[in-house]
Amino acid sequence: MSWSTTLPLLIVGSSLLPGLAIFFLSEERVVSRTILNLTGAFLKLVLVGAMLWGVSHGHHYETRLPLLPELDLVLRAGPLAMLFVTLSAGLWLVTTVYAIGYLEGSPHRSRFFGFFSLCVTATVGVALAGNLLTFLLFYELLTLSTYPLIIHRGTEESRRAGRVYLIYTIAGGALLLLATVWLYTLTGTLEFTVRGFLSELDTSLHPTLIIIFVLLIAGLGVKAALIPLHGWLPQAMVAPAPVSALLHAVAVVKAGAFGIVRIVYDVFGIEFTASLGLTLPLAILAASTVIYGSLRALFQDDLKRRLAFSTVSQVSYIVLGVAIVGPIATIGGLVHLVHQGVQKITLFFCAGNLAETLGIHKISEMNGVGRRMPWTMAAFTVGAFGMIGAPPLAGFVSKWYLGLGALDAGQSWVMIILAGSSLLNAAYFLPILHVAWFKAPPDSWPMERSFGRHETAWALLAPPMVTAILVLVLGLLASAPFSPLEWARLITTREFAP
Amino acid sequence: MNEIMTAFLLISTPGLPLLLAIPALRLPLPWSVHIALLPATVLLFVPGSPAIKLPWILWGGVGLGIDEASRWWLAMSVMIWIAAAILLRTHADHSNNNSPRLTTLILLTLAGQIGAILATDMASFFTFMTLMGYAFVSLMILDGDKKVHRAGQLYLVLLVFADIVLFEALLIAAASTEILEFAAVARAIAQSTSPALYLSMAIIGFTLKAGLWPLHVWLPPTYGSARPAVALLLWVVPVATGLLGALRWMPLGVISAPVPGALLQAIGTATILYAVLFGLIRVQRKLLPAYVAIVATGGFVMGLGTGLIYPAVWNQYGSWAPVFVALVGIGLAIMIASFVWLEKMGFSSSVSNNVSGVVLWIERWPKATIIWKRLSGIDYVPKLLAAWIARWGELWQSHAWHRAFDVGEYLLQRWAFALTLFLLLGMVSVVLLLP
Repeated sequence: MSWSTTLPLLIVGSSLLPGLAIFFLSEERVVSRTILNLTGAFLKLVLVGAMLWGVSHGHHYETRLPLLPELDLVLRAGPLAMLFVTLSAGLWLVTTVYAIGYLEGSPHRSRFFGFFSLCVTATVGVALAGNLLTFLLFYELLTLSTYPLIIHRGTEESRRAGRVYLIYTIAGGALLLLATVWLYTLTGTLEFTVRGFLSELDTSLHPTLIIIFVLLIAGLGVKAALIPLHGWLPQAMVAPAPVSALLHAVAVVKAGAFGIVRIVYDVFGIEFTASLGLTLPLAILAASTVIYGSLRALFQDDLKRRLAFSTVSQVSYIVLGVAIVGPIATIGGLVHLVHQGVQKITLFFCAGNLAETLGIHKISEMNGVGRRMPWTMAAFTVGAFGMIGAPPLAGFVSKWYLGLGALDAGQSWVMIILAGSSLLNAAYFLPILHVAWFKAPPDSWPMERSFGRHETAWALLAPPMVTAILVLVLGLLASAPFSPLEWARLITTREFAP
Repeated sequence: MNEIMTAFLLISTPGLPLLLAIPALRLPLPWSVHIALLPATVLLFVPGSPAIKLPWILWGGVGLGIDEASRWWLAMSVMIWIAAAILLRTHADHSNNNSPRLTTLILLTLAGQIGAILATDMASFFTFMTLMGYAFVSLMILDGDKKVHRAGQLYLVLLVFADIVLFEALLIAAASTEILEFAAVARAIAQSTSPALYLSMAIIGFTLKAGLWPLHVWLPPTYGSARPAVALLLWVVPVATGLLGALRWMPLGVISAPVPGALLQAIGTATILYAVLFGLIRVQRKLLPAYVAIVATGGFVMGLGTGLIYPAVWNQYGSWAPVFVALVGIGLAIMIASFVWLEKMGFSSSVSNNVSGVVLWIERWPKATIIWKRLSGIDYVPKLLAAWIARWGELWQSHAWHRAFDVGEYLLQRWAFALTLFLLLGMVSVVLLLP
């Protein structure tokens, strides 16, 4: 096996093997577990960096393992895959550091970190999947590996949230499986292909293809939290903060959104999808989700719940960018895959810090918290302004390309959606910043833990600081080589080239 | 070498305050605002119109430079910022635990404001102006009493709306031209088939930013209650930068747009009339700068409107616009500094500073006319006319007008009402401007 056929496997294995090893470690083996966790995360990042370099220089990486007759398990690195893989690998490292700090002293850490690693393995598998079957396998592995993380606390509330999550995602997975099998019977292939592989099919099959498309979007829309399939996401926020960060920024919702991108571009092909009349309904669904999520976020007092509804809204920008049909909007949608992830993980880290350090869970408890935890709230402020779309932060770049793409594609109505969404984002984030920075703090916090002269533990503070800086850098240096924006441009050039 | 030095100066002018703002969150450096102003001060003396482009920043590159107009703005800003920094130190309450946040916000405001002045393209301007806006509104809320706090909240809402509207204008501009430099956008808008939507967005956005009637209501309470350093900044930061934005974003001298021009003239006239009738006649001394600022803003906007209607007039006289803004800024700074001095000397600023002679004359002239006519034996005024004169006199009773204005101000300070009114005005403007 050559380097180009081994590398995808190594990237998947770099979290799978440490994850499996961690399961067998006893609870007291803190150092061994930490070493395994961090080694896996660093190794994955290095390998992804090497692959990124290779792909940018035109190298081809593919692992093909026989799985079923005429159907292989395929891992392939292309520009689109690299966008998601890099996001997952980068954010997994910071989330691992955060989780180590967050779970310090709590029970069942081996179980937690084992599933945590499996979850990232599945995410990377979803990203690198070279055909729909491989995608489906890792997509289901993702469901199964995140369920134990959601119910990790073992409370009744978390078990209930876990059940709801499982029902939604398994139902979604079933739809996806049905559509995949149906598609295979029609075409005899499931290989992801640039510009899709269905446009050559006979026109008499078009109604069937429309049904398959709807099934696929419904299956993927569960994880992407498109309305009305989003019900599990706000409930799943009972999970520990690192899991919420993983669900909202790195793994689950991103896998759903990424899946929709794959289906539209590499199964149906964007032009063929548009010719079937499917893009406008998809755009309307995404726009409705954008507005609905924001409206629901507006009325939540629970901080993580507000952030969860914000995710419902923000992830649909990705789908909206794809459904607008045009190169510029596609750049906006794809780049938001990364930008939303970095911004949202910052916000969840900060929410976790507030909960762990001061016992704050509700916005109404946040009065004056900026004075007690200035660095955490500074990071939160950067993340929130990024979500609102204030320049020069990452979120602005996404909204810029979405708006410009909508105008370019003659879909001016999207401008109204963007304006409304920005307004709602401001309406639900600015009051948080107002109470945190400008209201007087209470005499005592709900459940304060002292960390000496530091506002919180370094392992909890460093990750949001790093990701907040990243939010700024991704916006400020958007046009730099290897930036997500440049990758999105590369992918779009390939997809829309004449 | 000179080019490198100039580039360094241009980058460090907004960059240094940004850099200093980060450690200030924990422990502000002494004289940090003065230090932050050093590159800007030096830049004022660099001859010519140097400009740089930083292609790797933002999504299409950032342009910074200084030209004739921005040099006036920068000169005014440096002077006022130095004065504000001195006042800030003089009035600093060292036991105040707001101090680190206050310094951070001041430095962020400074970076945003000076960056907006130096921006040579719309994207950079918008970026810096956003930073400035949110930092300044935070400064208002953090530093002021209840009145300023409320005014700050109102301004924040307006700011969000303004940014959204200007973002849409920016998108329309970017859809017309790939290059977002001001001159290129002006040419592209002039050549586009329907510039009205862009112009109406820009007018609405900067009307929201600069405190024009009827959305000026956050300005007087802030002037009245904010600490002197913040009051000094009110003209130079939100208002003058908003006016600079209007100047930069509108294709003045390139396009003849009679309807948007007339709209701007109407807004300017209404602003001046309102401020003169309500503000200048009867306000307290501390509020006087607010109404002077509002009148000056109205005058400036009338000038912009004239420039949109008659491009030739703008090309001939437009270069005086920055001089006007700079002189108003310096005048206001002197006024505020005098009030601070008067207050130090023991003259209370809360004493009403009514122009009583004028008011009394206005109130009494109809009655005096009738009495004079009776006394002089020429009382042949028909009864109906006499009644009208008397009625006119009652209408001019200043307290009656004041009550009406007070009710208006009260309503306008309820942001929901103000915004509804503004949105209605905006919709009417867009409908009028669209072909």
